[in-house]
Amino acid sequence: MVEHSSIAKRFQQWIGLSIGLILFVFLMSCQQNMALASSDSSNSLNSLYADEQPALSGDGRFIAYVSNRNGTRGILLFDLKDQKFIDLPRLNRPDAIAESPSISNTARYIVYTASDRGRADIQLYDRVTEQVQVLTAGYRGWVRHPSISPDGRYITFETGSNGQWDIEIIDRGTIELDVP
Amino acid sequence: MKPAVRSVLAVLILAIALSILLISCSGPQYLSFPLDPSGRSLNSPYAELSPRSVSQYLVFVSDRAGSQDVYVYDLNERKLLDLPELNSLDMTVAAPDISEDGRYIVFAGNRQGKSEIYLYDRQLYKLRSLTSNLSAEVRNPSISADGDTIAFESNAQGQWDIFIYTRAGDPLDISTNPR
Repeated sequence: MVEHSSIAKRFQQWIGLSIGLILFVFLMSCQQNMALASSDSSNSLNSLYADEQPALSGDGRFIAYVSNRNGTRGILLFDLKDQKFIDLPRLNRPDAIAESPSISNTARYIVYTASDRGRADIQLYDRVTEQVQVLTAGYRGWVRHPSISPDGRYITFETGSNGQWDIEIIDRGTIELDVP
Repeated sequence: MKPAVRSVLAVLILAIALSILLISCSGPQYLSFPLDPSGRSLNSPYAELSPRSVSQYLVFVSDRAGSQDVYVYDLNERKLLDLPELNSLDMTVAAPDISEDGRYIVFAGNRQGKSEIYLYDRQLYKLRSLTSNLSAEVRNPSISADGDTIAFESNAQGQWDIFIYTRAGDPLDISTNPR
């Protein structure tokens, strides 16, 4: 008698577990479907939101630009050959806006302006190390419109430190050049 | 401690200090160009805007001559290059870009209220519009360093979108729109 009730209990446990499992699998597949449906519209180069400031890589394969899609304004990198976006971990941050992208030969280096600590700085993103480097830390004056040379060594930008817009160049010195 | 060992140690410490100094010095450096009041150099007392530099050439916009024009500065020879037939009195220009060999220049030009993306061939001195059959505003062109691909913005669909053309002026054969 005692054995019988313990078997029934175990049976009940199994039923409960399998119902839970089925529900879990069902929910997961639902979520996946939803994610696919919502990302479908933002998987192409253009969206129904503003897509601006395009910059081509030296070989013409990659294009970096600023997009307002997904409820944020950020820099996207699109591979025109494989027709897909490339992840840029740690580039776009929720507390800053990045603008004016420019990319090197194979899009290894991305320069852009971003507001860090309340002032716009020129920043450099390395796609190999996935690190951001602030290039104009401590620079006196307003900077904008950075542009990187195809090999990644020089960055040209506009400076307002002389009372009118002038051009200055940053030499990054000995770096790993982005040669195709 | 033996004097020989001590001197070796001293040399080692000196070498380490020197290398630290060198490493800290090899960071980014600013190259400023002297301001030339006569307007024959890179910077002038007027505005210099939207610079883009490839290996040797630096293309930018300046209003030093009384109208907004495109200039190309040769960084090796340290002088401005001649661009015959490019700038005209009835056109304002913006956002120029140049291919790495310095042959092709693209820019957004506005003439009589109509904006176009222009391509200038520095070898043939020829200026040509790439967007004459696009009845919408266009801006911010970019040319790849190899000079084969041109991207720009247009509001033909009611919001700013990216258009990608070949140098011949044909849209690139890819689907770019969600609709």
